[in-house]
Amino acid sequence: MATLLRSAFAPAVQRARRTASFRIALLASAVMLSSFAFADDVLKEGITPATDASQVPAAAKLRTDTVIAGISEPQGIFNPYFFVNGWDENVTNVIFARLIDWDSQGKLVPGLAESWTVSPDGKTYTIKLRHDMKFSDGSPLTAEDVAFTLTVLYDPKYDGDTDITLAHITGGDDYKQGKADSISGLKVIDPLTLQVTTTQPGATTLQKIGGPVLSKAYYGKGYTRGNLDYLRTLHGKPLGNGPYVYDKYIPGQEIRFHANANYYRGVPPTPRFIYRVTNPSTNFQLFQTGDTDYDAFTSRPDDIEQLKMLGFANINLYGSSDYSKIEFNVRRPALQDVKVRQALIYGLDRQKLIDVVYQGYGSVAIEPIAPISWAYNTDGVNPYKFDPAQANKLLDEAGWKAGSDGIRVKDGKRLELTLLVSKKVLNDALIPIAKENYQKIGVLLKPQVVDFNALMSQRKAGNYDLASFSTSTLNDPHDGVWDYYSTESTESGYKNPEVDKLINEGNATLDIEKRKPIYHELYKVLANDPPVILLGNRKILSASSARVTGFKPDIYNGLTGSLPDVKIVK
Amino acid sequence: MRLPDLSGSFNEKVMRNFILRRLLQTIPMLFLASLLIFMLFAKTPGDFIDGNITLTAQRAAELKALYGLDQPLLSRYLHWLGNLLRGDLGFSLQYQIPVSQLLNQYIWNSFLLATIAMVLYWGIALAVGIVSAMKPYSLFDHVVSIVIFAAMSFPTFFLCLLLIKWFAVDLHWLPVGGMTNTGSDATGWAWVAQVAAHLVLPVVALVMLQAGSLTRYFRASMLDVVRMDFIRTARAKGLRERTVILKHALRNALLPIITLLGFELPGLFSGALITEKVFNWPGAGHIHIDSLAARDYPVLMGFTLFLAVLTILGNLIADVLYAWADPRIRVRS
Amino acid sequence: MFGSLFSTNRRLREVQIPVLSQVTPSPWLQAWRALRQNRLAMLCLILLVVMAVWCVVGPYYSPWRDDATDALMINKAPNAEHWLGTDFLGRDVYTRLLLAGRISLIIGMLTMLLSVTLGYLMGAVSGYVGGITDKIIMRFADLVMTIPSLPLLIVMGAMLSELDFSPDSRVYMVIVMLSLLEWPKLARLVRGQILSLRERDFMLATQVLGLSSRRRLFGHLLPNTVPILVVMATMAVANAILSESALSYLGLGVVPPTPSWGNMMDAANSLIDFQRRPWLWMPPGVAIFITVIAINVLGDGLRDALDPKMKRSKK
Repeated sequence: MATLLRSAFAPAVQRARRTASFRIALLASAVMLSSFAFADDVLKEGITPATDASQVPAAAKLRTDTVIAGISEPQGIFNPYFFVNGWDENVTNVIFARLIDWDSQGKLVPGLAESWTVSPDGKTYTIKLRHDMKFSDGSPLTAEDVAFTLTVLYDPKYDGDTDITLAHITGGDDYKQGKADSISGLKVIDPLTLQVTTTQPGATTLQKIGGPVLSKAYYGKGYTRGNLDYLRTLHGKPLGNGPYVYDKYIPGQEIRFHANANYYRGVPPTPRFIYRVTNPSTNFQLFQTGDTDYDAFTSRPDDIEQLKMLGFANINLYGSSDYSKIEFNVRRPALQDVKVRQALIYGLDRQKLIDVVYQGYGSVAIEPIAPISWAYNTDGVNPYKFDPAQANKLLDEAGWKAGSDGIRVKDGKRLELTLLVSKKVLNDALIPIAKENYQKIGVLLKPQVVDFNALMSQRKAGNYDLASFSTSTLNDPHDGVWDYYSTESTESGYKNPEVDKLINEGNATLDIEKRKPIYHELYKVLANDPPVILLGNRKILSASSARVTGFKPDIYNGLTGSLPDVKIVK
Repeated sequence: MRLPDLSGSFNEKVMRNFILRRLLQTIPMLFLASLLIFMLFAKTPGDFIDGNITLTAQRAAELKALYGLDQPLLSRYLHWLGNLLRGDLGFSLQYQIPVSQLLNQYIWNSFLLATIAMVLYWGIALAVGIVSAMKPYSLFDHVVSIVIFAAMSFPTFFLCLLLIKWFAVDLHWLPVGGMTNTGSDATGWAWVAQVAAHLVLPVVALVMLQAGSLTRYFRASMLDVVRMDFIRTARAKGLRERTVILKHALRNALLPIITLLGFELPGLFSGALITEKVFNWPGAGHIHIDSLAARDYPVLMGFTLFLAVLTILGNLIADVLYAWADPRIRVRS
Repeated sequence: MFGSLFSTNRRLREVQIPVLSQVTPSPWLQAWRALRQNRLAMLCLILLVVMAVWCVVGPYYSPWRDDATDALMINKAPNAEHWLGTDFLGRDVYTRLLLAGRISLIIGMLTMLLSVTLGYLMGAVSGYVGGITDKIIMRFADLVMTIPSLPLLIVMGAMLSELDFSPDSRVYMVIVMLSLLEWPKLARLVRGQILSLRERDFMLATQVLGLSSRRRLFGHLLPNTVPILVVMATMAVANAILSESALSYLGLGVVPPTPSWGNMMDAANSLIDFQRRPWLWMPPGVAIFITVIAINVLGDGLRDALDPKMKRSKK
């Protein structure tokens, strides 16, 4: 019936469309100029201090020895190698300390490990622990505990998120398959020194073996290979060596800690710390009434303005390390042609998308890494600025000719692409913008909204042309490109030997100066043979109350990196 | 004409048999329901491992084998059923604790909130329904109807936010959310007082959202009964209006409403999703959605089955109450 | 002897005998006539029709297309160009409101019709026939009530997505599924009502009079279930319109960018939006409000028109 009415009112529709498209064209050109208009109002990255500390709510002032931070959905698995979601990781970062930490730029710095040396061939790591380190219950922390931690990760029944096999420790696979009773590559030389031998060098190996340390006496009591069920009972009773000691967990409400007298960097100045469960609808109100001293918010002008109006908020803005993308299913015939893929990137107005979604607090992604990383370098990398004319030209060259209704046809097949998305703000804007943009270059886009899990399984089944999702937090540039390695990109079918070679090279050395040019070259190659449409990088906003000092959140450490320095202002 | 008084001659045994027969029918129904639900969840695209994008293909396959997700459907179902019959609801993949422990952590909080809200909105619906029936099409009646429809069209989310804004942020009378004060170690009556303070706003929200539709049903039922002949007779007999309404009309008007009472039972434990989320009330509402999004099968199966039991039980109780309240129905069935 | 009393003689219709006045040849035609006299109900009927037509035709007269995003015009208040302002993507709220109306009205009405019809039939049959039919239907209803709706919808949605159905046609699937899951509750309500009505004196009277089963059912029993039917229908429409927005989170229901009243209200989801940008949520809220009230008044009018006692007391 709708089509019937449409034909009846066709003249009106034509008129409306012409007027609309003229206005859109006019405004679109204005948008290009307007994107600079955001610059004045946009908050700078870093910490914007509070303007009026006297506004701190009375309720907050009553707390003289406790700092409260907001957390979204802890699930109670307080073990750094077994948690399932990132919120539990926020909790374990408070309870457990890492061997090797990251600084705010993502470079590796000593943590529990005082120093480490790497053999010239890059395969042997010797880690030296600091002296006199203790767990929070007073028991000593030695290299045995580190060896135990790594052994558990190779256990055949280990089902956590950390994939230690990517570290390629010698003898690890043998242990896992039951061929050996211990891992030959792990050697405890003395209580303060551990030697780890690997079968191949890797840039991310130090990160992987330098994680939090589990106490062998506590977590290893009665441990035998293949028997990890008892460990589950300890998830709710963690023993660690971080700045704070776990006290109590009230499900759905809060997690309480007190300062660890045995913390290797010294007792934290604030005696008690509490994570309070908040959610995006009311976390601002909780901050406003002084119920929380620190929380993360969506980085939109609305929230920033509200926070500024409070007066007592120290506002922190920093870049995130992930990026959003639309993956090409290169197995599909239409997308096998690199010209088609390039055309699709040229034909999508990503700047408009980012402007609309992030309103100044995001940028278009040009490389598969965020601006915050040391590897970020866009010189000579094709930025694919929005250029429908170029897109049309490329599609013509690829042999796709415009059909009668405007949609391109080749060998009898129309250029119709399905786009899988899950429901989130970015996709709400992506769908109308992409549909409109692609219509203009003769591509019919068919968006399908499904829930995230279904999206992933459809992707695995190869049932898509385009799929939109974001990466997780990227701690190393290698993490940002590993998906495009031929053995890992089995869903999309992307294969590029040059890319594989560069990825391996980038991963083979620890020297950042050597790695920089390798990744730079890699990004150029990836831009010319794109496996994905890179969408954007975003910024993360958090705020702390003026009644506390010391919070310096960054993307690698969140709030927990600076937690040991947090003090209540008297 | 008065209702025939059959209670004296009523046979308790008949009622007991009725209940027993229904309970016996419940068992095969629950088996069937569990099979249907299991197949449904198994057919839902994606599983627990698929949601994790950081896994390599090899690791994903390993984990699927570890969790038994690559087994054929029927053997997975029988395995789960076997555990269930031994009283073991399984292990949550997401939370890594037994499903029964997980549910215990949250459903009682939902139960507390939902029960208090239920008592209140049933009370309000009753009162408003009665008054509306006593004065049909009056100004009061019209105003109430309009308020009810306005409340229904008003988004739940905003209602909760408004309540928080007025009473917690601006007036500081009540807390913003949660169940107890952060960091408090109160026990006994002090703890009860804290929980009570935290309960006020979510209960008000729930009552405002749910009283409306119940009031409409109630009013319709009351209006219907009030126009019946036996009410005319009672009035003609010179009885006071209050007695007429409360003693004669109410009893009959309540009958169809008892069915609605039966529907409430599963709702008492399943949690009010949006309200609990906005008020940070640690209830079971989010478990439903989160475990569905993550495809945490043990939790989904355990929770859904639990609610299925409550649903069937709720209907059974409603039927029993119905037969008990109206003897004429007893005679027929 | 009774035969002459049941004739269609006009004069006889004037006779005010309670039972017989209900036994006129075409009670439905009489009901329509009575409804026409009820000015308020007719007003609401016309209002609903006007709303529907406006939603279908209106967008063609608007200069804005619903999916024309515009980064410059984000969240602008109502002005001369955009009568109801713009949303977070710069789209015209007025146009979207009308387009959303098409979908929301269809969803509301269809779901209501399907679920109420199915629920009513099952409940009426169950309550009236009784016996083993009643038991079977009620146990089946119990079983359907235990099926969780969200996973079912996700499964159906995924199946349709793999068969390459467009998102718009998936909406109809959602309507059907939701109706199929809602009918048990309605059936139980209707059955409860019928069980108590069955025992009432006026029904005994019809039995004594020897009326046919069909007449007892359609002429007397069912018209008395109309009050609860009206409430059920009104609630069903409102619930359908409001709850479909929750489904869009799972990629079901009406997914963006297609607007529906439910998901328009949903898009304004912070206190700032609520306080500072009322044009985002008020129009769809008011639209739902008017729809629900109109249906209710119409339904009340229908009930009054079908209820013979009501007619009398109005005179």
